Amino acid sequence: MIHQYRNNGYNIVMDVNSGAVHVVDDVVYDAVALLAAEMPETVLDGQIAGPAAESGCAGCEDENGCEAAPEPGETTGKGLEAGEKVPESGSAGVFQIPAELRGRVEKQLAEEYGYGAQDIADAMSDIQELTDAEQLFTKDIYRDYVIDFKKRKTVVKALCLHIAHDCNLACRYCFAEEGEYHGRRALMSFEVGKKALDFLIANSGNRKHLEVDFFGGEPLMNWDVVKRLVEYGRSQEAEHNKQFRFTLTTNGVLLNDEIMEFCNREMSNVVLSLDGRKEVNDRMRPFRKGAGSYDIIVPKFQKFAESRGQMNYYVRGTFTRYNLDFASDVLHFADLGFKQMSVEPVVASPDEPYAIRKEDLPQILAEYDRLAVEYIKRKKEGRGFNFFHFMIDLNQGPCVAKRLSGCGSGTEYLAVTPWGDLYPCHQFVGQEQFLLGNVDEGITNTELRDEFKLVNVYAKDKCRNCFARFYCSGGCAANAWNYDGSITGAYEIGCEMQKKRIECAIMIKAALAEDEE
Amino acid sequence: MKKVKTLSGNTLKESMKKGGCGECQTSCQSACKTSCTVGNQSCENANR
Repeated sequence: MIHQYRNNGYNIVMDVNSGAVHVVDDVVYDAVALLAAEMPETVLDGQIAGPAAESGCAGCEDENGCEAAPEPGETTGKGLEAGEKVPESGSAGVFQIPAELRGRVEKQLAEEYGYGAQDIADAMSDIQELTDAEQLFTKDIYRDYVIDFKKRKTVVKALCLHIAHDCNLACRYCFAEEGEYHGRRALMSFEVGKKALDFLIANSGNRKHLEVDFFGGEPLMNWDVVKRLVEYGRSQEAEHNKQFRFTLTTNGVLLNDEIMEFCNREMSNVVLSLDGRKEVNDRMRPFRKGAGSYDIIVPKFQKFAESRGQMNYYVRGTFTRYNLDFASDVLHFADLGFKQMSVEPVVASPDEPYAIRKEDLPQILAEYDRLAVEYIKRKKEGRGFNFFHFMIDLNQGPCVAKRLSGCGSGTEYLAVTPWGDLYPCHQFVGQEQFLLGNVDEGITNTELRDEFKLVNVYAKDKCRNCFARFYCSGGCAANAWNYDGSITGAYEIGCEMQKKRIECAIMIKAALAEDEE
Repeated sequence: MKKVKTLSGNTLKESMKKGGCGECQTSCQSACKTSCTVGNQSCENANR
């Protein structure tokens, strides 16, 4: 599958199945478009057969679970060996360009597009070189890499601890309803948190890195328990050969020097909630009595970010229909001195006045373009910053197994309520039909967990033929549930934004790579 | 090549050979909490 686009003066060609990304001139761009229009999408569609079809996904005999793919060097006995499905270079993995098609395209490029003979010859030569290197017109070889996600064994490696179902702010878009999550105000006890960590250790198989996010409501409203749980987690690391990565998501109201010092020592990342410009933030993130939170929070966050060396944190905002010019909020963060930031579209019922609507998309997509241009400019001027959604690792990014299996909600990532109930993720907490179990008994609703195992790009009709499928991995299950009524559905407004962000991120790579030459 | 600059080669297929260790970060834990974003994460496979 080929995806190509022009952005900010760059011609980008993505060969989706190989992950290859090329910046090309106009002749190659037009030639690829003409060729791609007549090349088959994939021949592997529907051709899933053989031993793998019976054995679940390759390598899933591993009792410690897998990421939808085999451990290196392991075999299932009746299934496949790691890498076995990878076609050998130059043949099975790529579609060859038929001579007849090539001739026709060359003629079209000359007669209809007016390109010169040498330009066309050079372009076709480059295209052939890329095809031979399996970086253009490659086949989708992953569909039968992961056959039956339901059969795979998974381990738990991350917990979102709802340390406090209470909040000192009353953010208008809060999916937790001012921290209460459709339930009662509650603080997690140390005992429940300890059981959660024990559950994580016991269910994490041979995974060494375990992630625990202290979330809320507002976790600083139960700070003593946070500290005790970090201490308990650390005390268990050596015995179980585990390493905890603790993170904290906070609104900053209660932040003080002692908390910052503790976080800088123990938390591998902190997420600092702030929406951007003062008027934007204070409209949506007021205190319960209505006063804005910006003036109290910003100086604390600035100090916190500096104290962490401007690393390992995100200032994270939400944009809504009220600030569709959100690029200004991202740039406001940069102007405040922050270097790591994220601003994300609100998750809201379509009935809410602040919810993003389909008709807002043109403006939102244009904002991403505007932000990308400024992002490049500031990077080149030596005053760059990182915007979470424009960060993309083209060379050392996640393996395809990770890209296929997505965020892991409901399987390897779970949320824990103050009273110890388990949910597929923080977004589902309080929706009783998504209750998975509790920290005493573990996951009891295995049927529901198995449904979440199915959330992957090939199980989702709308993702199968999307160019972004290996970057977003099928998107957020909660968004899909909210908008499509199914966790294997898709939130189409979100998809459009995601696709634009990926296009911008790649264009930024092209622009910055140009400078390195 | 005269007309093409490759930013990234055949990385996905290569990753199949050693993929699947599962040590990488769970995407939602990193920053977003509302939108699954996997492509910007780093591989943590020690045997890569």
